Amino acid sequence: MRSDIQDNEKIKVKLFAILRERVGESEITITVPSGITVNHLNSEILKKYPQLKSFSNKFVTSVNCKVTTGDTVITSKDEVALLPPVSGG
Amino acid sequence: MLGLEDNSAGALSVFIGNVRNRGRSGNVSEIYYEAYSEMAEQEMREIEKEAQTKWGIKKLVAIHRIGNIKVGESSIIIGVSSEHRHEAFEACKYIINNVKTRVPIWKKEISRESQKWADGILLE
Repeated sequence: MRSDIQDNEKIKVKLFAILRERVGESEITITVPSGITVNHLNSEILKKYPQLKSFSNKFVTSVNCKVTTGDTVITSKDEVALLPPVSGG
Repeated sequence: MLGLEDNSAGALSVFIGNVRNRGRSGNVSEIYYEAYSEMAEQEMREIEKEAQTKWGIKKLVAIHRIGNIKVGESSIIIGVSSEHRHEAFEACKYIINNVKTRVPIWKKEISRESQKWADGILLE
C-alpha cells in the first residue's frame, strides 16, 4: 500500500536580483515529489509564481553553489538557487 | 599597499572599478550591488587560483563591495604582485574579466527617475 504513495520533499530555493524582486521574497519553498530534477523543479516554480514565466530562459539553477544541468536530481538537503544574468564589477 | 609587497616581486598592479554617472539607462546616481555570497566567494577563490597558476603571481587581493555605492566610489579592487610587470598586468585583467562573467553578483542602476537591473551575462 505504501508504495502507491509518493513521498514529497520541501525544497528551499534562493532567489536573487530581479527574480527576488518579482516574487517579493529571497527564499521560497516548493513541495515536490522525491527524486525531482532541476527541470521539473523549475516548471513547478513557474506554475506557482507565474510572474517569473517571462524569465524562464533568463536564469540558470545552481545546486550547492554550482550551475547545474536540467537533469540533475535535487533533494531537500541541497542548496538550490535561481540566478539571473550576472553583472558584477 | 594592500599587503601586496613581496621582496621577490618587482611589479605591483592594481585595478579599481568605480561607479560612473552614466549607465545604459541614462544618468546614474548610485548602483545597488547584490551577491550570492557563498557562491561568489567560492568562484572568486577559483578565479584567483587560476590566475596564480597561469602567471605565478606572488600576492593577490580581490574585493567586491555589495550594497549601495554612489557615483565616484569604488565597487571593486584587484591587486596583484609578481616578479615582472607583464604577469601583474595580465593577471589583473584576467581576474576582472572573469569576475564580470562568472561571479554571481548583480547590479541595479539607480537614478532619480528610475531603477534598472543591468542586462548581464548568463552563467554557464
